[in-house]
Amino acid sequence: MRRLLAVGLLFSLAPAFVSIPASSQKKEEVPKLSLKVGDVAPDFTLLSDQWKTVKLSDYLGKKNVFLAVYILAFTGG
Amino acid sequence: MDSPAANAAFAKQIGIKFPLLSDMNKKMLKAYGVLKNYDEGGDSYQWALRANIVIDKDGVIRHIEGGDSAVDPNTAVSVCVDLHRKQAPH
Repeated sequence: MRRLLAVGLLFSLAPAFVSIPASSQKKEEVPKLSLKVGDVAPDFTLLSDQWKTVKLSDYLGKKNVFLAVYILAFTGG
Repeated sequence: MDSPAANAAFAKQIGIKFPLLSDMNKKMLKAYGVLKNYDEGGDSYQWALRANIVIDKDGVIRHIEGGDSAVDPNTAVSVCVDLHRKQAPH
């Protein structure tokens, strides 16, 4: 797995949102991703925890990338 | 969205060795269709889905899943392992 770059995106929720019980959510969209296997991954530029800019295109031809979008990680941020 | 500073503290706390990225302007989440809108009481909220995405060296998506199934990363990990084996020099 040396050639694999694993990255995680962590998201926290505003306290007001956390307090909303799931059962009370209305008009919730059905989770459906807009991309599928075989699509070219859109490039992105994000800021790492080391305050460095990370672009997907930086890894083109070099490494596979595992993106994990992670919510409710409770980082305290 | 968590700030880089919060992610840095979290990474140190649990010993993460890979980059933790912040999508403060939600551009990536929107581009990947991971950001969803919810309406409640006349107010609109945005919440990212849990998602696992595997992108190969050519920039092609080899695995993508969102929602409840993405809580378990094993399928995505299997794709990574297969990808690595196929790319390994014989």
